[in-house]
Amino acid sequence: MTLHLQNVGRCIGNQWIVRHLAFQIGNDECLALVGPSGCGKSTTLRLIAGLDPVSEGSIAIGGHDVTKLTPAERSIGMVFQSYALLPHLSVFENLELGLKIRNVQCKDRSIRIQRVLDLLQLSDRASHRPAQLSGGQRQRVALARALIRDPEVYLLDEPMSNLDAQLREGIRPELRRLVLEQQKPTIYVTHDQHEAMAMANKIAIINHGQILQLDTPINLYKNPNSLFVAQFLGRPQINCLKPSDNQIQAIRPEDLKFDDSGLPCRLLSREWLGNTQLLYLASSEGDLRMIMDPSFECPERLFVRWDPQKAFYFDRETGKRIP
Amino acid sequence: MKMNRSIIPLLIIWSLAPLVWQLYTSFCTDQALVMPFAEHAQRWTLAHYQSVLNSDPPFLNYLFNSLFAGVLSTLLTLILALPASYSLSKLNQRTATLIKALLIGCALFPYVLLFLALLEVARFLQLGNSLIALSIPYAALSQPLAVLLLTNAFADLPTELEDAARVEGLTLLQRFRWILLPLIAPAIASTSILVFLFSWNEYPIALTWISDSSKLTLPVAMARIAGSSIHSVPYGPYAAATVLGSIPLILLVMAFQKPIVSGLTSGAVKG
Repeated sequence: MTLHLQNVGRCIGNQWIVRHLAFQIGNDECLALVGPSGCGKSTTLRLIAGLDPVSEGSIAIGGHDVTKLTPAERSIGMVFQSYALLPHLSVFENLELGLKIRNVQCKDRSIRIQRVLDLLQLSDRASHRPAQLSGGQRQRVALARALIRDPEVYLLDEPMSNLDAQLREGIRPELRRLVLEQQKPTIYVTHDQHEAMAMANKIAIINHGQILQLDTPINLYKNPNSLFVAQFLGRPQINCLKPSDNQIQAIRPEDLKFDDSGLPCRLLSREWLGNTQLLYLASSEGDLRMIMDPSFECPERLFVRWDPQKAFYFDRETGKRIP
Repeated sequence: MKMNRSIIPLLIIWSLAPLVWQLYTSFCTDQALVMPFAEHAQRWTLAHYQSVLNSDPPFLNYLFNSLFAGVLSTLLTLILALPASYSLSKLNQRTATLIKALLIGCALFPYVLLFLALLEVARFLQLGNSLIALSIPYAALSQPLAVLLLTNAFADLPTELEDAARVEGLTLLQRFRWILLPLIAPAIASTSILVFLFSWNEYPIALTWISDSSKLTLPVAMARIAGSSIHSVPYGPYAAATVLGSIPLILLVMAFQKPIVSGLTSGAVKG
């Protein structure tokens, strides 16, 4: 089963919210859509789900054109940011509703619900209402509702943005395992590059309603095609030097080295990050961020250099990569 | 906070005193009413209630008529207002604001000015002396307020709930049944009470549309009691009728109190 988008766009009035979306994801692939808020990543998801109409292009699931089909006809499992659980129904009833509508036999329903509840360790919460559950449990119920119908495609819309950082880290591997086990195309929307790199085997960086680059996380990091992508991925952020000849030179913080023949710098501040330390340096080329061993005692004045091979060059006007 | 607490008893006295006075009057003999501090061998009496209940047609008949017209007009109002307000909540901002402004205009219009025209309509369509027909103008007049109240309730629901239901495969009617109606139940309850109250208290239309004394509604019947004698106002029977007429309302509010107060939407989204 594959999900295939061809030149998909959505237009409201005379403004394109997203345009020229094109990608294909296969059975065992998880694609993360990443970008700043308002970039169109959630709209993309809604288009695939059929919640919003497509203005141009086509969407195909498993070779079948679903562009004109309703959400229910598309065999899609979706997890919403707010979980969207029905507050007046218990966990069991929340899961049951979709099956009931699809005329699944009563006995069959109970078996399937029980299996999903067991899988997500929610068996003891079946009779609880959503308000009685913790954030993590609600998130699992929302996931259970997507899993129970055994859809062809999974769409996850910032499923962890309502959880606190610690819980998120705990749930991430669990979610990844569950989603990958389904062996179905999965799209994961997030604004957190960290989460995208952890969850997905491909990432699409979106800005202003267009995909800037779609590749594996490592390729995006090593080979960004634009300044936006280079800046969006990688923390601490990539260093951009003062533009010269309409070019911007950018260098990752971990690629800076000390060298007495290098660029003279002054230490602005330093942050311990546990296993590394982050140095903020001022230089004639602009402020630099640099990653160092935590035991290193940094002097006030120092010199840094870098391998020009490891630097990226971007056009100042367009932000495009210059090879 | 202390300030607020001290106001509460005053508010209770302010709002309950007339009712208590009515209740007192309904159980007092006429002599005790005009001379409240004089000694009376028989101060308390049930005679007023007896006279009201034993009148011809019996008072319970009027009570039933009002109940019938009230329930019917409430149902009619909801059947029309629910789909209308759902659509209104889905319309784009500009159109919705315009329609809401028009509805507010309609709601503020003094309906008494319409009753002569309505009378003509009733005469033309031969709708006189029918409680079913009476509930039609009631439902129509309640419509703007009901639509406004319910639109706000629909608009307050998180859209993701309906999106999730669409993905699950629920049709519009199924979404209404399983998601929208249960979630806006508090708003439906409060709207119903307002509509019911309106038709329960409505006087001019009921007065002009109904002439058959077995089909009178409460307000008209009570006005007849008040005006039954030229020489005196029958305070006692009138008070007894008022008390009897209030009981269904009190029961209604008590029954609906729970859905109104309980925040059903809590826990729908993050929180």
